[in-house]
Amino acid sequence: MIDSLCDEPSEEDIAIAAFYCDFRDHQEQTTANIMGAILKQLVARDEVLRHMQTAFQKAKRELGGRGLRLPDMVRMLKQAIATLPQVFICIDALDECLSKNLPELLVSLKDVLRGSPRTRIFLTGRPHVEAEILRYFTTGVTAPISPSTREIERYLEKKLEMDTMRDAMSDTLHADVLKIIPERIHGM
Amino acid sequence: MEFTAYTHSANSGNVNCNNVSNSHNNIVNLNQVIADENPEIMRWLSPLDPRRRHQDVRTDRFDSVGSWFLESREFREWRSGEGGADKAVLFCYGNPGVGKTFLR
Repeated sequence: MIDSLCDEPSEEDIAIAAFYCDFRDHQEQTTANIMGAILKQLVARDEVLRHMQTAFQKAKRELGGRGLRLPDMVRMLKQAIATLPQVFICIDALDECLSKNLPELLVSLKDVLRGSPRTRIFLTGRPHVEAEILRYFTTGVTAPISPSTREIERYLEKKLEMDTMRDAMSDTLHADVLKIIPERIHGM
Repeated sequence: MEFTAYTHSANSGNVNCNNVSNSHNNIVNLNQVIADENPEIMRWLSPLDPRRRHQDVRTDRFDSVGSWFLESREFREWRSGEGGADKAVLFCYGNPGVGKTFLR
């Protein structure tokens, strides 16, 4: 997704920030850290950096470089976005975000969107988080993802082509793999 | 390098996220330069580094996965901003392994 947005020839100047939620990293993946990771990807503008440097020096003076709290982070992110023509934020695997953190993350994203209607947010997750997302983004658009049969066939063909022991597979087995696997996946 | 990959400008002529081919692209590199020059601030903002994960995803991805999705009405409307602020959020859902992360 990120690469497609990057590759797309377009007249506009766009900035893209991406984040992947991971259940193995709950301790560090707090909402503030996630928003900070997004912000880190949007510092290319001088004024954003200058602002950040000032805030950092101030925090250092005041409390020996204390960590940022979520409201500060959201505020800085909004300021950064305001300096950019258009920002795309992509967050993958929302279901891997701690369920107690998810509302906070969604509220923060909603806050970021407020005042910057051009910002686009792309989210992915398992079906069960859909309701939660629609609770905060009532007009949000949702779309199911499933691989097309053709896509699965092409993937299998490619994998079989790379097989180092091609002789071990008879033509019948080869044909069966290409037929049965896509069928099964389709039934998933 | 991946940091840079997320920002691009069409003004540079050649818009490309590929690390090798964008080495000439000043705007794309700006984010990385800034990040490298300010490691303290970057750590202060967040200890998390999504660049690494993105690199893994790119390496493992089977190209053209999900290209049908990029053609879909939902995606095009979201991308173009036709629906305005109301359509600012697009959520793609699916069971584990259907390719959500690897949508290209």
